[in-house]
Amino acid sequence: MLFAQLLANGLQTGALYALIAAGFSLIFGMTRIFHAAHGATFTIAGFIFYEFYSVLQWGWPIAAIASAAAAGLFGVLLDRFVYAVIQRHEGSFFTVFVASFGAAIVVQNLISIFFGRGMVTVTTPLSKSIELMPGLFIAPISGIIILCAIISFAILQWLLTRTNLGIALRALGENPNLIEVYGLTPRRLSQYVFLIGSVLVVPAAILTSATSGLNPSMGNHIMLISIAATIVGGVGSLRGAAVAGMLLGLAENLCLAVIDPQWSEAVTFVILFLFILFRPGGVYGRAIVS
Amino acid sequence: MLAYLQNIAVLFCINAMLALTLNFIMGYAGIFSLAHAIFFGVGAYATAYIALYGTDSLLICMAASALISAFLSMALALPALRVRGEYFVAASMGLQVIGVTIFSEWKSVTGGLGGMIGIPRPRLFGYVFNDDGAFLLLALVMLLVVLVLTALLVRGSFGRSLMAIRDSESAAQSYGKHVNAVKTISVAVSAGLAGVAGSLYAFYMSFINVESFMLETSILLMAMVIIGGTGTLFGPVVGAALLMSLPAALTYLPFLPPSELGTIQQIIYGLAMVLLMMFRPGGLVGGRSREKSA
Amino acid sequence: MTRADTQHEILLQIRNLNKSFGGLKAIQDVTMDLPAGVITTLVGPNGAGKTTLFNLITGHLIPTSGTVHWLGKPLKSIEPWKIARMGIARTFQDLRLFSQMTVEENIMTVMERSSWLWQGGRKAAEKRVAEILEETQLADKRLERAVDLAYAERKFLSLARIMASQAKLWLLDEPASGLDPRSFERFVALLRDYAARGITICIIEHNLDIVIKLSDRVAFLDQGKLLAQGSSQDILKDPHLAAIYFGDRS
Repeated sequence: MLFAQLLANGLQTGALYALIAAGFSLIFGMTRIFHAAHGATFTIAGFIFYEFYSVLQWGWPIAAIASAAAAGLFGVLLDRFVYAVIQRHEGSFFTVFVASFGAAIVVQNLISIFFGRGMVTVTTPLSKSIELMPGLFIAPISGIIILCAIISFAILQWLLTRTNLGIALRALGENPNLIEVYGLTPRRLSQYVFLIGSVLVVPAAILTSATSGLNPSMGNHIMLISIAATIVGGVGSLRGAAVAGMLLGLAENLCLAVIDPQWSEAVTFVILFLFILFRPGGVYGRAIVS
Repeated sequence: MLAYLQNIAVLFCINAMLALTLNFIMGYAGIFSLAHAIFFGVGAYATAYIALYGTDSLLICMAASALISAFLSMALALPALRVRGEYFVAASMGLQVIGVTIFSEWKSVTGGLGGMIGIPRPRLFGYVFNDDGAFLLLALVMLLVVLVLTALLVRGSFGRSLMAIRDSESAAQSYGKHVNAVKTISVAVSAGLAGVAGSLYAFYMSFINVESFMLETSILLMAMVIIGGTGTLFGPVVGAALLMSLPAALTYLPFLPPSELGTIQQIIYGLAMVLLMMFRPGGLVGGRSREKSA
Repeated sequence: MTRADTQHEILLQIRNLNKSFGGLKAIQDVTMDLPAGVITTLVGPNGAGKTTLFNLITGHLIPTSGTVHWLGKPLKSIEPWKIARMGIARTFQDLRLFSQMTVEENIMTVMERSSWLWQGGRKAAEKRVAEILEETQLADKRLERAVDLAYAERKFLSLARIMASQAKLWLLDEPASGLDPRSFERFVALLRDYAARGITICIIEHNLDIVIKLSDRVAFLDQGKLLAQGSSQDILKDPHLAAIYFGDRS
């Protein structure tokens, strides 16, 4: 039953990664900004939820809203006050990336000052595992995770294909001139992109807080997954990032059947390297060779 | 007191060498690497292994460190540089992660989490650098070598090719620049020299383990280059000096809790990176150099 | 105004060139020669395939069928940088100058084709750089960064780079657009000077006034097909072609 357990874990992790990667891919695909602070958004969302739910004990709806507000605010403010300034005068990949990275470092360390450097978890009855079959332990929360992921993606799909805003967002990535038709500006749209992309990680952050726990430096791992999934899935393809996220989550868990846990992060990168070597366009993207 | 200053000076030389070599690819070639600490580490472990089980010859150890690091970097560069720059960042991040895992797990070569101890001081033509003062001299000479080498490369035609590729890769290609070869060579040079710094480090500290070669170190090096100023010759040196003096400077501020000094340090250079990119992307030495003047 | 084509060597030969992107036929059965010492202008409506043709010559695109021969050698699946070193150079509509480098460095780096650390002939190289700076009237701007130059100066720097490349075939994409009349005259004079030295020059241009002033020969492209080529007078006076150019495809 080991395989089944690993598969179950993999699906859970995969669903979380899919959400996280989709957020990053959305932002990168549409604004071309390498938002290295996406991991920090995740960390903020998680810790705010922890603060409101476990520490202040204000119930999970308020905690969830606070978490979403914090994440969205962080993304939008960073875009408005940092990225916008940089893009106005020069905006090269390098400059934006470094600023983003710097912001991530600041957030990571601020959080460790307020919450300590260790791991914190949110305890809920939902995280208690039930032995469904001999050797197969699943907690109700896993089901919630997968459900959440499906719902989030459904909402995202609806947003992007059936609303004016969504269509304008997709135009932003490919043909910015079309946006003016909708009475919007690239700047304003960019903020929507950051809002949506940042809020997308909130369910993943909340659920992670209840399962594997949070620590201030987890942003790095989140970034690695986001980038790897975006590339493996194909730059510019939201579906690709989500699928790749799921794949990476599965791979990370299934490989435990044959190798030690310390190497599981390395597996993600071996997969990444293989794609860069043989199919840089990713699963859904076009091959991009300079 | 003298011993303390000598210690700082040696570490400064090593950090400056690392910053200079990272700037070579980041500032002049526009290639982003988050794996510089790994090449530093590979050089350190190579020297440690050879010095412990083979020979303590300075020349052999340094040459081996340089070559192994350079070779490894080409394994990264050749596939990753064929595609866009963002992919190289991702690949280098991957290498950093995998590198740390290998350093921690490959017990027979790297000593695993415990690291390697008892690394002897190097020997050059019969003279052994046991004296710390003599070692400082060695470190200064090596720093000078790296500086001169970098200057020669950057101010010559190779440097111009690098910068042309950085500024417009398609135009560079259209004018006959073999872009992949130039980029790969620059990555190899950068990694090889980082390996030499690693070699020095192993000899000096006589004990190395994976903790010196983690993502934090790569980030610190990146901060040195950026804050000091990319694409300038002395920017990285200034950056190294500044960021090394930061911990000492912070201890003088009484209101800061000592346990949080490391964290506050990171916040300061994180903030510096953000603010600099917004207002002075060329770094402290470079100024606003990346954009139109006036 | 035109010189007899037979007096000039044909160094670039395009035969039955085809390029399709999936179902889209970007270039259809194009056959043309570019003679040395002659300025040929490629004209045609937007989307006619002019830039695609350039890309097929420079190796940025691979033909679906057909051949391009340069100096008798077929240019088949050769990488762009190698083709550049065979003596073919191009400019871009958006210039793509090496923005952070100085004017002098822009020119020098093109001259230094290989990237070795030490190169012979230093004195000769410096002399040539000075010459180019004189010809393009950029001498007093030589230490300015490319990003700081005025519009016309940037256009001339783009030309200076191609002059430094020692290329025998120049593919220029709208090199003179937006130039004020005096700069334009200078530009034309410079091009004619190099054409007289035997350089093969092919220019993409939309502005018909410029086409008239600049070209010895004109090639008219529409929807990937070469409709006509000949002297500029012949082509530009053809009412049928004019109609196509201005959008009437009856």
